[in-house]
Amino acid sequence: MDLRITYLYRNLSRNPMRTALTSAAIALPIVIYVLSFSVIQGFDDFLDRAAKQLRLCVTQKTSIVNPLPTGHRRKIEFLDESKTRILSVCGLRWVGGKVGDKPQLLSTMAADPDTFLGTFSDYKLSESERANWFRERRAIVVGSGTANQFGWKVGDRVSIKPSLPPYKEMDFIVVAVGSSENDPVTNFFRADYYEDVMKEIGGPTDKVSFFFVKCATKEDLTHFTAEIDELFARTPDETKTQDEKTFMNSFITQQFNLPRNLTILAFTTIFVAVMAAANTMSMNIRDRMGEIATLRSLGFGRLGLFALVQTESLLLCVGGGVIGAAIPYIAFNFTPLGRMNVPLIQTLIVEGSMCAQALLIAAGVAIFAAMVPAISAARTPLVTALRNME
Amino acid sequence: MALPLYYNWRNLTRRKTSSLLTFLVVMVVVLVLAILLSFGAGIRESLANSGIEGNIVVLKPGASAESTSIISNEEAARVMQTPHLARNTDGEAMVSFELCVQTTIPRKNADRNLANVAIRGVDDIGFDVHSHVNIVEGRRFRQAAQEIIVGKAASERYENLELGHEITLGVLGNRAFRVVGIFEDNGGAMESEIWGPRTMISGVYERRFLSSVLLRIDTPENFASAKSYIDGPTVELSAKTEFDYYAEVSKTTRDIVSLTSILIGIMLVGAVFAVANTMYAAVDGRKREIAMLRTIGFSRGSIILAFLIESSLICGVACLCGLALSLTVQGGKQDFMSDTTYTVLAYDLRITPAILMIALAASLTVGIAGALAPAIKASRTKIIEALRKA
Repeated sequence: MDLRITYLYRNLSRNPMRTALTSAAIALPIVIYVLSFSVIQGFDDFLDRAAKQLRLCVTQKTSIVNPLPTGHRRKIEFLDESKTRILSVCGLRWVGGKVGDKPQLLSTMAADPDTFLGTFSDYKLSESERANWFRERRAIVVGSGTANQFGWKVGDRVSIKPSLPPYKEMDFIVVAVGSSENDPVTNFFRADYYEDVMKEIGGPTDKVSFFFVKCATKEDLTHFTAEIDELFARTPDETKTQDEKTFMNSFITQQFNLPRNLTILAFTTIFVAVMAAANTMSMNIRDRMGEIATLRSLGFGRLGLFALVQTESLLLCVGGGVIGAAIPYIAFNFTPLGRMNVPLIQTLIVEGSMCAQALLIAAGVAIFAAMVPAISAARTPLVTALRNME
Repeated sequence: MALPLYYNWRNLTRRKTSSLLTFLVVMVVVLVLAILLSFGAGIRESLANSGIEGNIVVLKPGASAESTSIISNEEAARVMQTPHLARNTDGEAMVSFELCVQTTIPRKNADRNLANVAIRGVDDIGFDVHSHVNIVEGRRFRQAAQEIIVGKAASERYENLELGHEITLGVLGNRAFRVVGIFEDNGGAMESEIWGPRTMISGVYERRFLSSVLLRIDTPENFASAKSYIDGPTVELSAKTEFDYYAEVSKTTRDIVSLTSILIGIMLVGAVFAVANTMYAAVDGRKREIAMLRTIGFSRGSIILAFLIESSLICGVACLCGLALSLTVQGGKQDFMSDTTYTVLAYDLRITPAILMIALAASLTVGIAGALAPAIKASRTKIIEALRKA
């Protein structure tokens, strides 16, 4: 047994340049794989969390940019007077927003102050934070990504310039920062503050962009999806109701269909890794034909040789895989790169499980790449191989 | 004295598997490189064709795009007094009041997923200001009729926008508008839009305001004075050139595209390792041959050159094949949702001559960088030792 281990070690170390180059050629595609799938994972987690919240999103029927009257909220609430199936309804007004001269557009919403905490119960605010939301008219709850980017902390006074009327800077006091479980880029402030500002400039005040409806169970979610649209059918303000996941997903797929395109990219690079590994293994085996023939004549079985070649390939590829998975893991967990602002998903989180998955992929690459060389090693025709020995 | 090319070719065909695998690696990398760059090139081309010299977009200060800008009729009327306005052949000032709304239309693909398409309401003067817009099929809409014209890109991508078809628009989505014309905009962003008579669009969407004012000044040099008038106390709106406006609209998208160039970089480095690996193997396998060549008088330089040529040959041919494959995406119909306008911008994938040059340069760099160290090693072969082994 130890003879074999020595042999494997010697094989990999007898041509250190080749081993190093192959490991590097496998490590880099693994880096790409980990990065791509971490981005995709970011989207998936976001959508999964959205689905778990059992919230419906009610928008105007023809386009999300057309507003709905605030009065819809009472009508939706009356669908379930007991408040056991529809727990809470919150009207949201999208105002976008920018900070200072930064070109980046924020996602800022004015929320009904009384129902915001109930509807967005996934924002686990502490008792004092909740009290501050109700007490402070200029309260704002900011997403973790946005807070990180601008260095905002609870208690800070911040200014955001809405992209819609009033178009001038509004001052807020940060009462809470969302956790990483919450939407990292969305900020919520109180609609009564917004309405006051709008009244000052004579803007429209009784409109919302959409309603979020918190339901009690999955069945209620399905039930009210149809019920709400039916309620407003044939009125001047018809609605379109979707669950939160479907609603969010329509934004993500419209932006380049990034999840699908990154998947294609990741698998293409894995293909490159397979080619690189296969090349090395086939060179290794060709160079050692005579040796393999000798081993065979010493009594090593075909299966044993097959396993030897496969193990060598595994060591090579998983070695490269460890390097490839470690680079993004360390870079995004232990260096300032982790706080980098990534378009769309804000912060890139590279999880250990993603890296473990990448190692499995590396192992798969190894087995696949060594298949042909391993079979040819196992089938080495003894006599010819020995004759060709130098 | 250099070795004949024939020698290089024969060497490559001697190690078929190895050459083929390296060839595949480089080919796939080039293919991915070209396709990733084609997204950026397509978007850049569409936006480079957007905007006309001397055109100024006037928005509400603070609004990030036409879709979020709200301008009252009084404010817009003040823009009419802007100095240095250009005039059309009838002597009218080239100022176009515009209203931008949007609707959702299914894409013409298998999922029929919805796209947010921009609708622009313009008066007849709008065709003079947007002088690149020209009708290629049908005719212009008539003012006060429920008629629309559709940009060529939009008509190709979204359902029911062909000439003669009808779509329903308006807040209630119940007003039928007939497509009476298809227009081109020199390949620019407006080809993704639907245009209709401003008064009709304003009526069916119940918008009693404007989104933007487009105006043409007599010479681009007068932009500064026109801007200071519009931004100043008389008008208090925000003016920017049409070019700058479109550059901002695509900012995030260009960020995403430039992030992909990091991935391209990683893949190229991976390819260098793969090529280096192959070339090292080639050098090791031909020690004696190289010693022989040196004995019969070939210089070190010509040996190095031979290996560089050999490697460049694989990479060059692989690059050409990769590029040939990438041409299959040429002209692919894509669109993305701008996160400032929240409407879709259509573009075609473009494999431009610049991309061809970049790919060729990248693959030759990979070839040379990968072969340099092995080639130098080859040139340093100790002649006596190498020959003695024979």
